[in-house]
Amino acid sequence: MAQQIIGIIIAALLSQNFILVKFYGICPFMGVSKKIDTALGMGMAVTFVMALASAVCYGVYYGLLVKLGLEYLETVAFILVIAALVQVVEMFLKKSIPALYKALGVFLPLITTNCAVLGVVLVNVQEGYNFLLSVINGAAGGLGFTLAIVLFASVRERVNKADCPECFKGFPIALISAGLLALAFMGFSGLKIF
Amino acid sequence: MNGKQTAKYVIRLGVTLFLITAIVAAALACVNSITAPRIAAETERKTQEAIEKVLPGGGKALEPGSYDDQGGLVTQVYASDTGYAVKVAPSGFDGTITMMVGVGLDGKVLGISIISHTETAGLGAVAASDTPDGESFRQQFKGLSGTLSVKKDGGTVDQLSGATVTSRGVTRGVNAALACVAGLG
Amino acid sequence: MNVKKQFTEGLLTKNPVTVQLLGMCSTLAITTSLFNGLGMGLSVTIILICSNVMISALRKVIPSQIRIAAYIVIIAGFVTIVDLLLQAFLPALSQSLGVFIPLIVVNCIILGRAEAFASKNTVGASALDGLFQGIGYTVALVVMCVIRELLGSGTFGGGLLNGGLGYQIIPDPYPAMKLVMPVGGFLTLGMVIAFSQWLMARLERNAKKKEAAK
Repeated sequence: MAQQIIGIIIAALLSQNFILVKFYGICPFMGVSKKIDTALGMGMAVTFVMALASAVCYGVYYGLLVKLGLEYLETVAFILVIAALVQVVEMFLKKSIPALYKALGVFLPLITTNCAVLGVVLVNVQEGYNFLLSVINGAAGGLGFTLAIVLFASVRERVNKADCPECFKGFPIALISAGLLALAFMGFSGLKIF
Repeated sequence: MNGKQTAKYVIRLGVTLFLITAIVAAALACVNSITAPRIAAETERKTQEAIEKVLPGGGKALEPGSYDDQGGLVTQVYASDTGYAVKVAPSGFDGTITMMVGVGLDGKVLGISIISHTETAGLGAVAASDTPDGESFRQQFKGLSGTLSVKKDGGTVDQLSGATVTSRGVTRGVNAALACVAGLG
Repeated sequence: MNVKKQFTEGLLTKNPVTVQLLGMCSTLAITTSLFNGLGMGLSVTIILICSNVMISALRKVIPSQIRIAAYIVIIAGFVTIVDLLLQAFLPALSQSLGVFIPLIVVNCIILGRAEAFASKNTVGASALDGLFQGIGYTVALVVMCVIRELLGSGTFGGGLLNGGLGYQIIPDPYPAMKLVMPVGGFLTLGMVIAFSQWLMARLERNAKKKEAAK
């Protein structure tokens, strides 16, 4: 069990990094990575929602859908759960922790359409993870997302100041920097644990 | 806006959303009733095809629990007079590889066949493809026994170039099948 | 109705992939063979048309506070229908696209078009918008696929032509294998977008020159 947990964490953080290897959550990765601070804020918000969504969707899938034989509704049910969760988290933060809301608030609505969140809950079901492993996979996946987006933001802050051909300005050069980052992460792919 | 109106409005929101969800769910139920039997038949056909490939003549499914599975990779065992077909699900580079391993009564591999996988196209996916590389990768397991490992890890199995993790996964699956059949006696 | 304008917008000036940068997860992840690209492009186009039509038809019924939730449920419904149909009738495609079919739900193209176009326009215009945006998406995917497949595995039409093997154009040991791996996705998309920016800048310059000559 402990081996499996460590394996999942290492995979989600490095060798199977959600963004750079599996391509979940590219939109916020490109959109919210212009500054390190905002990237970190987005990363933390995503991590929180991913862990929470993994837990709740586990309950919904095994407690409701499987019992009623409605597995084919999983996508609809999960996206509803995620949208509702994001809404609840937003309201909760606004009321009780205004400081945190100020830091994360603007990112929260974006998370609903972040494929990393829907991706992780679908993968949890596909791989048949139990409750604990699902939550760990969600949290570790979110941390992997944070790691990638913060690294990328720090690269991008510099790249934006550099001089490059006119037609490469903006997204193309950002994508190519992301490609080089992905190349670095490929070094982890042979990582063998146990 | 006074309290009564707000309450009415909230109810209207709720009812609208509920109606939309209900209609969507009903539509999905219709589609599912058409596709479910076909999907089940397709899965069954693939499984039978895979068994036929590794254990000509096919076999009878054994009861779960009547065989020993220490690694937790074996999902089903089919037995016949000439050997066993073991369905295993090791993890590859990206997700689970579902494959069928034929094992003879002498404890040697008769052949392997990959039922489904989500490996990288052009690299790991070669393991399941009909290309010469894929064929020779799968053929090399024939006649082997014991505990196998890929050359990179000091073993005898030729890993696919650029897809060591996939090759390791497949090898792990074969090992699990061999161990399972050895346990059956 | 301005069909021609909608067409050029979908294909070039407002192409969902190269200009709006929407739906990049699937653009990067599955563009490794022609079969995948066409399959994904067509699935997204069909879902986009259906959801645009439905949302446009319901645009006066859905209260604006819950519109995002309502849109997502409608989209998720269509996505699941396509997912189930593919599993039943085209298992090979469903196998090869994997989790990226259900992930179409959160593909920003669909929600983006619903919010930006379908919620404000008539059913007919929304259907056309879905069709053209879908075609623009498919074309961008196919271009990515052809480049990555040709340079990455040296083949053309993998999974589709020549009995699923594709035609080997670059002999075996030479292709740049890294291009079919994640890295290649980023690099290829960067190049494709750079090219389309260059092309658009050039077209604009030419148009200006023409006007000046007049």
